Formats: sequence, C-alpha cells, structure tokens
Amino acid sequence: MAELLLKNVTMKFGGLLAVDSLDLEVPSGKILSLIGPNGAGKTTVFNLITGVYKPTEGTITYNGETLNGLHSNKVVSRGIARTFQNIRLFNSMTVLENVQVGLHCRTKSGAIRALLNTPFLVQEEKEIAEKAMAVLEFLGLEEFRNDYASNLAYGNQRRLEIARAMATEPGTLLLDEPAAGMNPKETADLMELILKIRDTGLDIFLVEHDMRLVMGISDMITVLDYGQKIAEGTPKEIQNNETVIEAYLGSGGKK
Amino acid sequence: MKKIGIFVLCIAVIACFSGIATAKTLKIGTMSPLTGPYAQDGTYILQGVKTAVKAFEASGGLPGYDKIEILAEDSACDGGKATMAANKLINSDVSAIIGCYCSSATLPSSIPVDEAGIVMLTPASTNEKITERGFKKFFRLPPRDDVQGWSAVKFMENSLKAKTVALIDDRQTYTVGLVDNIKRFAKETGKLEFVAHEHITPGDKDFTAILTSLKRLNPDVIYMSIYQPEGSLMARQVKQLEITSTLVTEDACFQPKFTEVGGAATEGIYLTFAAPVADNPVRSDFVKAYSKDWGVGENEIGSFSFFAYDAAMLVLEGVKKAGVEKLAETIRASKSLGATGEITFDEKGDRALAHAVWIVKDGAFVPYYNPLTDTMY
Amino acid sequence: MDTSSFLIQQLINAIFLGSIFSLIALGYTMVYGIIQLINFAHGEMFTAGAFAGLIVLAGLQKVGFVDSHFIISMVLVFGLGMAYVAVLGVSIEQVAYKPLRNASRLAAILSALGMSIFLSNGMMLSQGVSDRGFPNALGWEGLKIMDAKISYGQVFIIILAFALMYGLWIFVTSTKLGKAMRATAQNKPMARMLGINVDKTIRVTFMIGPGLGAAAGIMVGMYYGSVRFDMGFIYMIKAFAAAILGGIGSIPGAMLGGMIIGFVEVGWSAFLPSEWKDVTTFVVMILVLYLKPSGLLGQSATEEKV
Repeated sequence: MAELLLKNVTMKFGGLLAVDSLDLEVPSGKILSLIGPNGAGKTTVFNLITGVYKPTEGTITYNGETLNGLHSNKVVSRGIARTFQNIRLFNSMTVLENVQVGLHCRTKSGAIRALLNTPFLVQEEKEIAEKAMAVLEFLGLEEFRNDYASNLAYGNQRRLEIARAMATEPGTLLLDEPAAGMNPKETADLMELILKIRDTGLDIFLVEHDMRLVMGISDMITVLDYGQKIAEGTPKEIQNNETVIEAYLGSGGKK
Repeated sequence: MKKIGIFVLCIAVIACFSGIATAKTLKIGTMSPLTGPYAQDGTYILQGVKTAVKAFEASGGLPGYDKIEILAEDSACDGGKATMAANKLINSDVSAIIGCYCSSATLPSSIPVDEAGIVMLTPASTNEKITERGFKKFFRLPPRDDVQGWSAVKFMENSLKAKTVALIDDRQTYTVGLVDNIKRFAKETGKLEFVAHEHITPGDKDFTAILTSLKRLNPDVIYMSIYQPEGSLMARQVKQLEITSTLVTEDACFQPKFTEVGGAATEGIYLTFAAPVADNPVRSDFVKAYSKDWGVGENEIGSFSFFAYDAAMLVLEGVKKAGVEKLAETIRASKSLGATGEITFDEKGDRALAHAVWIVKDGAFVPYYNPLTDTMY
Repeated sequence: MDTSSFLIQQLINAIFLGSIFSLIALGYTMVYGIIQLINFAHGEMFTAGAFAGLIVLAGLQKVGFVDSHFIISMVLVFGLGMAYVAVLGVSIEQVAYKPLRNASRLAAILSALGMSIFLSNGMMLSQGVSDRGFPNALGWEGLKIMDAKISYGQVFIIILAFALMYGLWIFVTSTKLGKAMRATAQNKPMARMLGINVDKTIRVTFMIGPGLGAAAGIMVGMYYGSVRFDMGFIYMIKAFAAAILGGIGSIPGAMLGGMIIGFVEVGWSAFLPSEWKDVTTFVVMILVLYLKPSGLLGQSATEEKV
C-alpha cells in the first residue's frame, strides 16, 4: 500500500508545462527512484510534494490526507522530510544543533513556554539532545557533533543533511541527488546508508543521476521526460526499456 | 469644452478665495522651534504671542482690521529651516515677524526679512552679533550676551571668588558666542584661569566622560553654556559623580523644565538672566491671562513667554497707533511698560537691560547677585 | 582625584554606556539577521519603552509602592514596558514589513523609515514635545572605589543589562525557539522544510529585539532622568554603528560592537579633545569595515535563495 500518492498532478509555470498529469506512488518500505534527463521536472516533483509549489491540477495525498496547498512546515510534520541537491546546512550552527533544529518540529513547547524557560522545557531540551545524538550515531557523525557544519568534509555535509531530515522523524524521506559531487568510495558508503535507512522502515523517494546508485539500490524506478512519465518498473525492466534508452541517448531529432 | 469648464471653475474658486481675502487681516508671523530639542521654549514663545493677541482683541482690537492672524512657523533651531520659514512668512505678506529662539536660527533668517522691509523682533536670541549688522527694522527684547557674559564673569570673580573655571559649550552660535564673551571679559581682569574647555553634542545624554575629566581638574567653577535639555542632565550627572565645583549657567536653562527634569541636582546652581522686574500691572495681567489660557500655574510660565508677549504687544500697539507702514519707526520711538519692564530701544534695536545672577532654591529661581552694583539681592 | 580613580571612573562610565548601546544594537542585529531589514523604527521602540516605563513608574510612585517594594516595582516597570513594546514590535512587523517580505528590499526600508516617522510623531503628539522628567527611583547613593563613584542605580542597570544579554544568549543557543530563530536567519526555505513556522519565528524576533530596545530605553530614562519623543535618534545612530561594527546579523557581534562604541566615546572624551567625539565613533566603524567588511564577528555575506 502506498503512503505517498500523486494523482494526475500537473504544474504549469506560465506557459511552461513542467509536470504533466503525473501519477505516482511511493511504495511502503521501498526505495523509489525518479530519473530522467536534465530539465525533466524531477526536482519540481519534490517541490510540489513538500509544498514549495502548489500544483496547478491534481492531488497529492499522504496516508489518505491531502497535502495540496500545505506550507512546507506542515508537510514536514505530516511525516515527509527532504534533502536538497545543493547542500543547505545551517553553517554557523554546530552539527548537533543542525540535527536539533530538525527534531524541534516533533516537540511540544510553544513560544511562551520557550520564553519562560519552564522546567518542562529543560526536560524536553535534554530529550532532544539525546535523540539528536542517537541520529548522529546512526549516521556515523557523532565525533563531529561540536564542529561547525561548514567545517565538515563534503561527504559528511551530505550525511548531515540526511541526518537533519531523519531527525524530523519522517515516514518518507525525499533525497534530491544525494550522490552529487561524491567520489566512488563516498557513493558506495551512501548506498549502504540508504539501504540501512530503508531497513528501519522508511519509504525512500530518490532523485539521482548516478545510475550505478540508482540501479544498485532501487526497488522501483520511474522515468520522467518533459514532465511526463515515460516508463516505470524494476531496475532490470527500465534498463531494457526502448523509450527510456531513446530519451537518454538523446534522439531529440526523432521527437 | 470640458477644459473651458474646468478653467471657469478655477476662476470661480480663485474669486471665492480672493473674496475672503478682502476682509482685512493683520498677519503676524512667528518663528520658533516647535519640534526638536528646544520645542518647549519654542512653544512658550508661540503661546506668549497668542496670549498677547487674545488680550489685545479683548481690549478693543485693531481698528480697520477684521481679525489678527498668527502664522506660526517651525524654525527648529536651524539656520536653514529658519530661513525657509522666513521666506514662507514673507510670501504670506506678514506685517511683522516674532522670532527665533536660537541665535543660530535668527542670524541667517533675519536677512531676507530685513531685505523684504518687514519688522522683526526676537524674544529670545541674545547673541550680540544679531543687532550689530545695522538692520533698521530689527528689535531685540532680552538683554545681549555681552552683557550676560560680563555679568557672569563679575559674579565668578567677585562673588564666588573663583580662580579656576572649566567651560562647556555645545558648539552652537549662542553657546559659543557666550563662552567667547566670558573669555574676553575675564581677560580684562586676568583673575580667572580657564583650565578646560569641553564641547558636547546637542541631543547627547551622557556627559560622564568629560565630567570625570573635569572632576580630576577640580575647578572652582564649571560654566555650562548649553541649553536646558542637556543642562538638566548635566546637573544630574555632576551630582551623581559627586563633583564639588560650583555650577554656573545661563538664560537658556532659565525655564521651569530645568528644575523639573534636573530635580534635586539643580539646587544651588547659579544662572544669569535678565534682572528681576518690579511687579507692574502689565506683568500681573499677563501672568493671569497666560496661566488661564494655557492651564499652567503662575510659576510655570516660560521665561521667554514674557518677551514674546511684549514683542507681540509692541507690534499690535504700533500698528494701532500709526499703521503697518510706519511700524518700525513707531516701535523705535515708543516708550512703554511691558511684562518685562520698561521698553525702549537704542539705534541698534537693543534694550538697555541688565542681567542678574539667580540661584535655584527649592526648585524656583531666586535673584541672588547684582553684578552692576556688586551686591547681593 | 588621582589617576587610578580617574581610570576606574572612566571604565565605569564606558561599561555603563556600552551596555546600553549593546542592548539596542541587539534589536537591530536580530531583526536584520532574520529578515535582512534595517529596522529604522527601532529607535522609536527604544523611546516607546522609556515612555511606557515612565508611565508605570510614575503610577507606582504615586501610590508609594516604589519605596516599599522596590524589586517588585522594577519587575513591573521593566516587564510591562518591555511587554508593551514587544506587542508594538509585532504589530509593526505585521502592518509594515510582512506585506513587503517578497517585495524589493528598498520598499521594506522605506516602509521602516515611514514607520519611524509615524511613531515619532505619534509620541510627540501623545507625550508632548518637551523633556519629561523621570521619577528618581534609583537615588543618588552609591559605592566608592577609591575616588571613583558608581551609584547603586548604575550597578542595578549594568547587572540587568548583562542579565538580559546572558538570557538572550541562552535563549538563542539552547532553546528550541532560539535555534529555530538562528535556522530561519540562515536559510528560510530550509527552515520551513524542517517544520519551523517561519512566520512565528519572525514574530518572536520582533518581540525580543524591540523588547530589549525598550529595556534600554527605560534604563536611559531612569538613569539620566528625562525622556523626550526624539531621544531615540542619537541612540539609534550609535547602536546602528555598533551593530554594523560587530557584524550585522551577529548577536555576539552586537554586544561587542556596543561595548566598543561605549569605550571609544568615553575614551576619546577622557583623553582627547571632546570636539571630535562623535566623529571618532564613525571613524572607528569605517576603519573596521575597511579592514573587515563583514564587521568584527560577521559572516561574509552569502545568502542562499530557493
């Protein structure tokens, strides 16, 4: 049963059709990859899900509830977290603080309590710190917890992005080109990590260019071209799909 | 056709306005700071003029005129703003202008007024240069700063028997001019030594750094040539820092706000101001009328309200006597009794007024020393 | 007065002045950090705080409460004054800045200037044009350190200013909302993506920044003894210089910048001709910016956008 479901989703920017009547489901506990040539609309799909854009048409539902028109911060509290293609860490905060910010959407204390600094809050801050450490340990970042995010090595910055997203305790994790800019060793580690995350029971929705990664870990693959779904299936099926090969090998002249 | 319609309408509107204007009105302009740090004194001046007009109208008004109008402009203690205000009043065809408060505003703004041949009277600006320019239609109600500076020097030398003096000014025309006078007269006798000369910025609140420097020098007298807002604050900080030097200041601090804001810290401070005036009917009538008009106690009237009232009365009586055309000549030749005593003018437009030294006692200004006779009151 | 007393006295003067500049500069830097706007109305927040404090204190003194319950009175004066200005700050954000959040920065700056003029005139009309005396609740007594004197009022104000700054520091470094505030300042879209309610965070910033400004206003009124509708102007300019000097957007930078301005002003007047005092503040600021354009503790200005 699918938790995240896109039905007939269309996004127009003025006259430009970025996503065209897309139907998509992210299967529970699986890794779904969204691939396609540059400009196919992959990141737009992520932005639609996370409330950066509002779809022109169609519905996006999560666990049966519609997400259309929700602000990004509400989408997170429903259980969808994401990372970005270009790293967006809070550079002048420590590694631990970055993760703590992610955890805060799950805590109760409101503005008034925070200003009054109640004992309840102190207790809650303690719990947050513990949880954040658990997340860092899971991702192997605990030794860097007091470093500023900007001082981390590139691969670890990527990991921290994932850690921060995980800290929001999502049911579904959206990863936007997590392997971008990584060397083969780092990519191999990342694949292992993604599988490890999936095995904790999360659904993973991945946009990636690195075919080795995509083919290596995906349970299902959806191919997008000019905003339209042109194929879907297991990695094996996609590798042998004529339309996909055509789209990728750039037979633009035929179109 | 539509355009012609609008044109006709315009003509009609203008005709209406000029119809109103044919009723004869005497316009008196005032220029004083209505905004900014010196707005309190500026307001005292405007209120003094308003009370004068009201009292004058109540006692029969001006024959040949339907009404007397006051055009109040804000000169903000700023030469540029004051000059703009003066031009605006000139263009509004005022018959006389009363203003400004700060000497730095009066000096430049009186030039276009003089060129336009309009009578101007200042109820507050005391810098002596103002009446040294040979303007034929300019008059000053309060005594000059060379008189004030001389009086302060006599007081420090003869009454306080001071040897060392520290000067503080705020770099404005009035305050610097006064300090220059003090230096000039002190030089004649050579009895005073100036151990420091500090400067503050108008609007500042904290003077502890320079006051601490002065505390170390420990002069007999600290002379504050500054306006009331800074004066009250400085008095407080002097007390706070437990400085033992005697404080002497001048007429810009001589108003109720000085003691109200400065509180206990102003007790025992000496000020130079126009010598006390024997009570006369004009003065007591003014005090009554003013406190009734503005709802203030008889002791809470700003010192410059008195001069403003007299200035307005000179204009009104002058116009009544010989018309607007001969106003300057009429005022110059007049000899009258005002709220600030006997009023006559010399050829420069100054009155022969003397200063006295006053002291703050229980929150009120009390005459203390007469520098002319070297005697105590 | 011997030289060491003189130096101690000037040190007291500088710390006192610096802590007030720091408190005001914090309001600038926090608002700038979160929405990249110079809140020109901050000087008016400072003044509004002073008036609110004056009204509360005068009321309490009238019924003789200040003499009998000094501590409670101070809590009321500062608490109510700061709360009033916090509400004012949020209202201004809602009315004047929020609708322009996606407009050009120039529009928001003009709106801030307009708000400043509006508030200043509002206070002029409601509170009068002239100085209003502040009840002397702190008295004249104090401690003597050799020949130098620090009044109990100054001690109280310095302690309170540092306590507020320390409280703010704890708040931004170790509470949920504080971290949310820093996250929002660094990257709004990402903060939103992590479930932070950005609008709420901005509102809270507009409570705390002006609230601190109000506390500074009450301190100034209480210590110097007078309040006037336009008193915020000079403080605004100097605190703004302090915020820039420390690196605008940086909270420790604002505290440091305020202290530096306090020390430069006092130091200059103490040892060099006081004529040039105001110039030096800005010369120091220009020098620092020339050597380090982002300010002493500022981050280099790279901003990410969606």
